[in-house]
Amino acid sequence: MLGIRLFFIGLIATALAGGGFYVFKLQKDNAILKANAIKMESAISEQKVLIENQEKDFKAILTANAEMNDLVNNLKKDLQDLDKRFNKKNRDVGKLAIEKTKVIERITNSAGDKAARCMEIASGSPLTEAEINATKKSEINTECPSIANPNYIPY
Amino acid sequence: MEKIHWHIITSENAEEVFKKLEADGIDPVLWGLTDKDFELLAKNFAQIRNKMIETNKILEKYKEYYESEEEKDE
Repeated sequence: MLGIRLFFIGLIATALAGGGFYVFKLQKDNAILKANAIKMESAISEQKVLIENQEKDFKAILTANAEMNDLVNNLKKDLQDLDKRFNKKNRDVGKLAIEKTKVIERITNSAGDKAARCMEIASGSPLTEAEINATKKSEINTECPSIANPNYIPY
Repeated sequence: MEKIHWHIITSENAEEVFKKLEADGIDPVLWGLTDKDFELLAKNFAQIRNKMIETNKILEKYKEYYESEEEKDE
């Protein structure tokens, strides 16, 4: 009889101890899960900031590329205009220079001065008031209006 | 930049040009280009200039990007 009692007492004690350990383990697991959840939330918010920054960078790159394309197109146009000045309607500058030597010499020197100014601007020289305010064909630097005369709109 | 002067010499005015150089106390010697080479020189200069402008623009954009990054970090 005593043996049976001791057996049941032992069984109950073991069950209680087992239950206690199980609860303790659950609490421990819960704490780990909570810590993991906090880490995940922090990682997600970091990722969000990263994605936002990447989006900003991507937009900035697109804008910069668009600006570069505009610039390259304007510079190409300046180069095409220069080509036109030499070859417009089968113009032969050599023949013109023979026929109107003084005039072509004057035009060449004027264009040379303008081209030198373009090199200065390209090297970082600030624009003058006159260059900034130029809006008429007669006021612009015909060699590089795209960089020398920001307010000039070709007409 | 230094200002340079272009002289146009034809078979008709060559003598006059050299006489004028001598009269002005300049050595009567000139470096010559044909009209086609002059055209190429002008185009070469324009291309160099364009490349400089493009490079400057790229540098400017990188500067904008990295300097704004530094401001953010501060």
